[in-house]
Amino acid sequence: MRRNRPAVNALIACAAFLVLAIELFPIAITVVNGFRRDVVILSGKPFELSQLSLRSYKLVLERPGFQKSLVTSLVVGLGSTTASVLIAAMGAYGISRFRFKGRNILAYSFLIFRMLPQISLVVALYLMYKFLGLRDSAGGLIIAYTSFNVPYVIWLLLPFFTSVDSSYEEAAMVDGCTRFQVFFKVFLPLVAPGLVVGAVFAFINSWNEFLYALILTGINAKTAPVALNSLIGSDILTWGQVCAGGTLMLVPVFIFTVAMQKFLIRGISAGGVKG
Amino acid sequence: MTSSRKPPIKQGVEARADGGAHPSLTRKSGKGREGAPLLFLIPALVVVFAVLLFPIGFSLYVSTFNWPLSEGMGPRVFVGLGNYGALFTDAEFWNSLKLQLGFVFVALPVELLLGFGAALLLNREFFGARVVRTLLLLPVFFLPVLSGITWRFMLQPRYGPLSQVLVSLGIPETSWLGNPGWAYAAVLMQDIWRMWPFMFMLLYAGLTSIPNELLEAAEIDGAGYWKRIRIVITPLLTPTIMTALLLRLIDALRIFSEVFTMTEGGPGSATLLFSLYTNKQAFTYMKVGMASAMAIFLLVLSVVFAATLVRKNMSLDVLERKAGNR
Repeated sequence: MRRNRPAVNALIACAAFLVLAIELFPIAITVVNGFRRDVVILSGKPFELSQLSLRSYKLVLERPGFQKSLVTSLVVGLGSTTASVLIAAMGAYGISRFRFKGRNILAYSFLIFRMLPQISLVVALYLMYKFLGLRDSAGGLIIAYTSFNVPYVIWLLLPFFTSVDSSYEEAAMVDGCTRFQVFFKVFLPLVAPGLVVGAVFAFINSWNEFLYALILTGINAKTAPVALNSLIGSDILTWGQVCAGGTLMLVPVFIFTVAMQKFLIRGISAGGVKG
Repeated sequence: MTSSRKPPIKQGVEARADGGAHPSLTRKSGKGREGAPLLFLIPALVVVFAVLLFPIGFSLYVSTFNWPLSEGMGPRVFVGLGNYGALFTDAEFWNSLKLQLGFVFVALPVELLLGFGAALLLNREFFGARVVRTLLLLPVFFLPVLSGITWRFMLQPRYGPLSQVLVSLGIPETSWLGNPGWAYAAVLMQDIWRMWPFMFMLLYAGLTSIPNELLEAAEIDGAGYWKRIRIVITPLLTPTIMTALLLRLIDALRIFSEVFTMTEGGPGSATLLFSLYTNKQAFTYMKVGMASAMAIFLLVLSVVFAATLVRKNMSLDVLERKAGNR
């Protein structure tokens, strides 16, 4: 948009990289301290990089609770992702391929559901789960995560679904397929890229979630964020282990941010933004 | 002003004036296939009902009781709107609202300014521009829990990296998170650090969609850089800015994980934000009825803002039009 003036551009590049360095400083702190030994961390020389080791990683992974929590996070994340993408794909198909009374109201309601604060639901969910025996189970957490992922993924999928021409589906229906056969055999393969985007966002939402996991689980179905938080609760200062565990949990987030660049804006703004 | 950006997609709209993207399918569904959309939507509606709407209704019910967390702690007593009344005379409740307002009136404007500035600055090509634009977004997706923990670590006296940097700048050693004022400032700081790139991301996207011709026309008319920002860019970006602010506002009202791991609401009640206080009412004071009243209060507030956002700034038609014109 602007004519290239080399000097100005060089200056802006420097400023940009400086801002980026400040912005990434806390993340770098987490990653680096995962490799520093606790004695070095507590010595009061925060930027001394001697005696780097994998000891904290070994220690944190040897904690039975933490290892299990990583597995639980993975199971809950994948379970909720599968359920929410399937349910949301059907819902988005219903909204994008049919014209029915209340269609707009329904679509916008899903958008509002997406923005409900979890703290407003978690107390009631706690009482319900206790009554139903769902507390402290991976299944219960999968259901809870699916509830906020479904409205989210529906809106993420809508533009993908609308952009697919319906002539394939019409042809299949002329050939005698039922609506559901058309959906599963013809339509879903066509929107596979959209489903991948929806799945990745659903997974990251679940992976990063803390409040539901904190309130709705105890010992059995503790997820990694809750386990990480309980590491700092103990009296012994084990920042190395906290940082090592945190870095492990960051791996999917890094991959996500770089791989999903194109879709990040749509992901956080729900799409359909006017203007 | 805004309307001048719409003509290129007008044609696509008229072709679909019936609102239906797929006329032949619509016709079929008209022939006694009315049940079909419902069949596809049933699973989503069941989930939404069971895990969103039912809990809301249940909260509303619980909020009218003096309801202890577990049965052994005494009977449930119907109190009508008593819990809501008790909230309004509760100093902690007002304190949590006040702390929440700090987020709205301090953190959000700062995030907006930083985001707007960065969007203007980075809206050009230079060596590494793409890398900067992508990596800037990492904090937004950084696990909130880990963000809180990292800031807690960085601010530890004696060995915390950030507190050591501050010491080396000549600022006397303090227990930052042990002091009510500083702890609140640190919580705001954490939020600004994590979320200004969110503003940047949305505003940058809005900025790149402003047609060059408009800016060039303004330049030809003699408008300098700052004047172009003031009279062309800012008005065109206003809808995007409103969207970004409302999204952040709704988000700021329910902030929990970062602050819970960073300060646990302390010292005292210095960072006991609304959601943390709700949690405390339910699981420390064991007053589920009070917590539910708070839950409903926040829910109403959030739905009002969300509905405003959806009505003013979101559109199913725009989304479908954009998708159809790809």
